[in-house]
Amino acid sequence: MKVRYGVTFVAIVALLSACGVIRGDDEGSKGAVTTGVTREPCPLAVDKNKGCIYLGTISDLTQGPFAALAVPITDAQKAFWKRVNTAGGIGGKYEVDVQAYVRDNKYNPEVHRQVYNEIKDKVLGLAQTLGSPTTAAIIGDLKANNVVSAPASWTSAWEFEDVIVESGANYCVEAMNSVDYAMETYKPKTVMAVHLAGDYGADAAAGAKIAAEKNGLEFTAVETPPGATEQGRAITEITKNKPDLVILTTGPADAAAIVGQSAAAGFKGRFIGTGPTWNPALLKSPAAPALKALYEQSSPGKPFNADTPGHKAMREALTGVTPNDGYTSGWVWSYPLKAALEKMVASGDISRKGLLAAVKTLATVDYEGMLPPEAGNFSGDPNTATFRQTLVNKLDETAPTGVSTVKDFFIGPTAQAYAMDGPCYAKL
Amino acid sequence: MIGVLESVIRGLGNGSVYALLALGFVIIYKATRVISFAQPALMLAGAVAVSYLTEVTGFYLAVLLAALLIAGVALGIERVAIRPMVGRPVFVVAIITLGVDVVVRVVVNGFIGRDVRQMGDPWGLHQVALGPLVVQQRWLAMLAVTAVLVTLLFLFFRHTRYGLAMRAAAFDQETALAQGVSVGAVFALSWALAGFLAAIAGMFVGTGQGVEQLTWIVALKALPAIIVGGLDSLGGAVAGGLTIGVVESLFQSYQGEFAPWLGQNFAVVTPYVVMLVVLLVRPYGLFGTREVERV
Repeated sequence: MKVRYGVTFVAIVALLSACGVIRGDDEGSKGAVTTGVTREPCPLAVDKNKGCIYLGTISDLTQGPFAALAVPITDAQKAFWKRVNTAGGIGGKYEVDVQAYVRDNKYNPEVHRQVYNEIKDKVLGLAQTLGSPTTAAIIGDLKANNVVSAPASWTSAWEFEDVIVESGANYCVEAMNSVDYAMETYKPKTVMAVHLAGDYGADAAAGAKIAAEKNGLEFTAVETPPGATEQGRAITEITKNKPDLVILTTGPADAAAIVGQSAAAGFKGRFIGTGPTWNPALLKSPAAPALKALYEQSSPGKPFNADTPGHKAMREALTGVTPNDGYTSGWVWSYPLKAALEKMVASGDISRKGLLAAVKTLATVDYEGMLPPEAGNFSGDPNTATFRQTLVNKLDETAPTGVSTVKDFFIGPTAQAYAMDGPCYAKL
Repeated sequence: MIGVLESVIRGLGNGSVYALLALGFVIIYKATRVISFAQPALMLAGAVAVSYLTEVTGFYLAVLLAALLIAGVALGIERVAIRPMVGRPVFVVAIITLGVDVVVRVVVNGFIGRDVRQMGDPWGLHQVALGPLVVQQRWLAMLAVTAVLVTLLFLFFRHTRYGLAMRAAAFDQETALAQGVSVGAVFALSWALAGFLAAIAGMFVGTGQGVEQLTWIVALKALPAIIVGGLDSLGGAVAGGLTIGVVESLFQSYQGEFAPWLGQNFAVVTPYVVMLVVLLVRPYGLFGTREVERV
């Protein structure tokens, strides 16, 4: 009997060992240069003689509130890195894979942390970590392990994190510039920030507050829950207090409900919404006349159809897609990682530490005209490095994404003078 | 005063939608003793169906077709996922409906895509003057259509053979079965009715603002409505829905002024606060059947 147990035990051990469970085999470690980098080619390699740098993607791909943007962001990044690989890869030695480790965070910080833990030992960095509260759930680990990551959010908190390579002005600066633009164009006396809770809405509201104080305007903040049907209170506050300018930081459906119903109730003030308040489908909504009359969109970058080499390359790489500025954002966010990877490979220190060191030397990044090169400054202190230029778009039914630029990259006096000494949302 | 009345009309409009959804919950509960958590998905599916059909058939026919389509979908769900579970603990069936909700929503989200889909309704954000009151036309439409549907529903239960069969089965399934009532048909009919009402509710949720993937959350407000009205009372579902709508609307308009210390968005939780208060006073709801337990 004992013999039979013994034989069974040995058989199980032999089986597990053969499968690599006990021996500690790790698929990713075959030919590994460092964590997330192999000498072997990428699964979808253009040139099989090059090694592979694996970057993870954690995005809101199915049922979260930002899936409408997250899917185009992720698709644009696949196209971006495919273009990099086709053009010779990184330093002629490596190609980049962003497809092997794509995970869905459902815009839930707990899920985000869980899927990050699944992939963190298999990737060099993250090509995308979508959302501010979700990324906040893993930021400690990113810092502890030097995991350089491109964010898919524009909160001002990222100015203070070395491992996050952000592109474009943060929501706080964007709202400051919006108020300054309105001062010049509409001369308001009262400003109301209608915003979602958390470091998207609160970051912009804080920027609007700082700019209102600087311009001597009366300021009120109205926090509103997400959901078009939940905007009754925000609409009441707007129509009751009649501010001259409303800075909106919500989702697109919420923005349409607020602008449309406020206008229907006789409100005639101006609305400037941050980038994510716009969706081209709103042009077909009942709120469209009100949006055309009263709404403009502030933005950290030029829209999909802009005439820059980067935009052209993006459109060529993404032929056949329905234009959406999710693609534009995803594409832009990838440039600093590309620049840092090139520096890392050139330096010879191919490791997470090497990548972070490369990031810290970047004073400019070539965005192929999509953003000014100084938007990619990761070498200075946060106050110096913070990029402060944004644009204002107006509704344009002839444009592919429904908006065209009315004021090109500019820095308002408030953002110019502001000392970025901590995340803005803490100051609301 | 005018502001209060306008808020009340807005609340009655939104409350009508909650009432339609709540009626679906109650009809299924009365027939099967199960709370169906698939209602949010059916609501969303109805709205999305209208948004597609309206481009082909025009709005009014689209609403009718979408409601019939969703009734059919609900029938299918009942036949495939719920009927085989007859006799199993109701808790298990309720959990199955949760799964059905997720599956249907994933499919419907595919049809919604990235954009906000529009209903093509004639009301949009247009307003109408009722004497000194200025209110949105869609709120009046919600109220009027709900009133008509509720009246038809009550006539159906009171004056038709199938309505009588449903009431009998709700009262005592075994006795109804012994009297020749097909309890299976009653289950199916209850799901179809709930699907029909959910589709109409979904269409109304989408008016003026469109539907997106997260719109399903609105349907959750029908849960406090059915608890307030009483789980097994059709009249209670209507009263509960309207109450929730009006209280929510009044809080949206006036809580910031009169009770700012409650925080900025207290209106969001008011349906649940009303539910808690009613539960404390009448645990079986305003119109629910008082349960008598012998010890």
